[in-house]
Amino acid sequence: MISFARQLNLIDYSLSSLWRRRGKSLGVMVVFAGVIFLLASFQMTTRALTDAAADLLAYAPEITIQKMTAGRQESIPLEYQEKLSSIWGIRAITPRVWGYYFNEISGANYTILGLDPHSMPLGDQLGQAIDTGALPEAHEVVLGQGVNAEVAGGDKSIFSLFRPDLSLKAFALAGTFKAETNLLTYDTLFMNLDDARDLFAMAEDMATDLCVTVANPSEVSTIAKKIAALLPDTRVVTRQQVQKTYQAVFGWRSGFASICLLTALASFIIFAWDKASGLTPEERKEISVLKIIGWQTSDVLVLRFWEGVIVSLVSFVVGYTLAYIHVSFFEASLFRPILLGWSVLHPALRLRPSVELGETLLILCLTVVPYLAATVIPAWRAAIIPADSALN
Amino acid sequence: MRPSLMLLVFLGLLALTDGALFLHHHQQGIRSAAEADVMKITVAGLGLTDLSLATEARYTRHPAVTDLVVPVMDHPGAIEHFPSGSFWASPVSHP
Repeated sequence: MISFARQLNLIDYSLSSLWRRRGKSLGVMVVFAGVIFLLASFQMTTRALTDAAADLLAYAPEITIQKMTAGRQESIPLEYQEKLSSIWGIRAITPRVWGYYFNEISGANYTILGLDPHSMPLGDQLGQAIDTGALPEAHEVVLGQGVNAEVAGGDKSIFSLFRPDLSLKAFALAGTFKAETNLLTYDTLFMNLDDARDLFAMAEDMATDLCVTVANPSEVSTIAKKIAALLPDTRVVTRQQVQKTYQAVFGWRSGFASICLLTALASFIIFAWDKASGLTPEERKEISVLKIIGWQTSDVLVLRFWEGVIVSLVSFVVGYTLAYIHVSFFEASLFRPILLGWSVLHPALRLRPSVELGETLLILCLTVVPYLAATVIPAWRAAIIPADSALN
Repeated sequence: MRPSLMLLVFLGLLALTDGALFLHHHQQGIRSAAEADVMKITVAGLGLTDLSLATEARYTRHPAVTDLVVPVMDHPGAIEHFPSGSFWASPVSHP
């Protein structure tokens, strides 16, 4: 039986050996920790975003109806609401007018949203999401934090936006959304339905889409099918599909980047193999001396094993810890340019990294195991050196 | 000091750091729970379907309800030109 004291002595010797070759050992550990840092950072970022999307979009509209013409989305006539009156189980249908407004000065895209919140679930409590001010009345608007800093300059109470014919429409600032809601409202201008129609020059009997509230959540898919049958020129999007879209989006994104990062991992394994397989004359001499004084081949293998375990585990813990700090305290700043692209307005990513045992083990298996595997053959080659080979 | 003891001290320091990060994670959880009600009201009250993450293109701002042809609207097989768009999968097909 392998005694604890013997293993402790072997670990001591491994550490001394690593210290003697500290330049090489440190180089391997820095690269190793860097690879784990990148893999873990991306995994934590995408996981945190996926979790946030799943948590938040659990309250998205149960059904959204969009009119499609020639494969493209168009404004939906309000009379479509009457066609749905025969469907039992629909509690309310709320028309929404929403779209985009491009600020040519800053290059930012804003999201304009107009609807009557009182007909939406929890709409009466919407005041709780507004930091200062109240729900917008006619010619008033509630701004997301990002838009407020840009459009209203932080302290203006009145500002104007261009209609499609370039005439100006003035708005009074009714309030701003709370900073906690930035992930949802950062680029949003919320106004009443008529003002949104006026801004987009949309006809009074049209809306962008219809939100359907269903009395019994278990009937959503049935009602969605009935709506699709009654209104064949529409696309019916259920809450479940919205959530699936986000799982797919971040899943793809995560997978795509993981493939790129696995290339870095493969490069590292090649690097580790190269470093570990190239026995220096000093190492050959050291092993020869060890064997002359009575070490067995198995002892040398165990010694190399401990070296690999120490290098890989310390690198793993350091890399993983740095990844958490990067995502949690620095808002995944290395990945922000990729995630947000050319967006002019983007909220602070206050991410809560998810550290799950399964995913941690996955990264452990993707990094530590290949490293140990890449170093085992060089270790065996080192261990079978004839005792007198380096000394002759 | 034995080298193994030095390694143990180093691992202990790492464990302390990770313990502090765990507490921070826990605090973040408490804060998120406190903000959950406001977020819930915002999503339900405004009927939101998407996160305000990448605002550079309409199909990255609203991937869940975007026009399905928009990412390749220039011509069939058009190369996606928005940086964040290249990381987005096609939206899930709807009935």
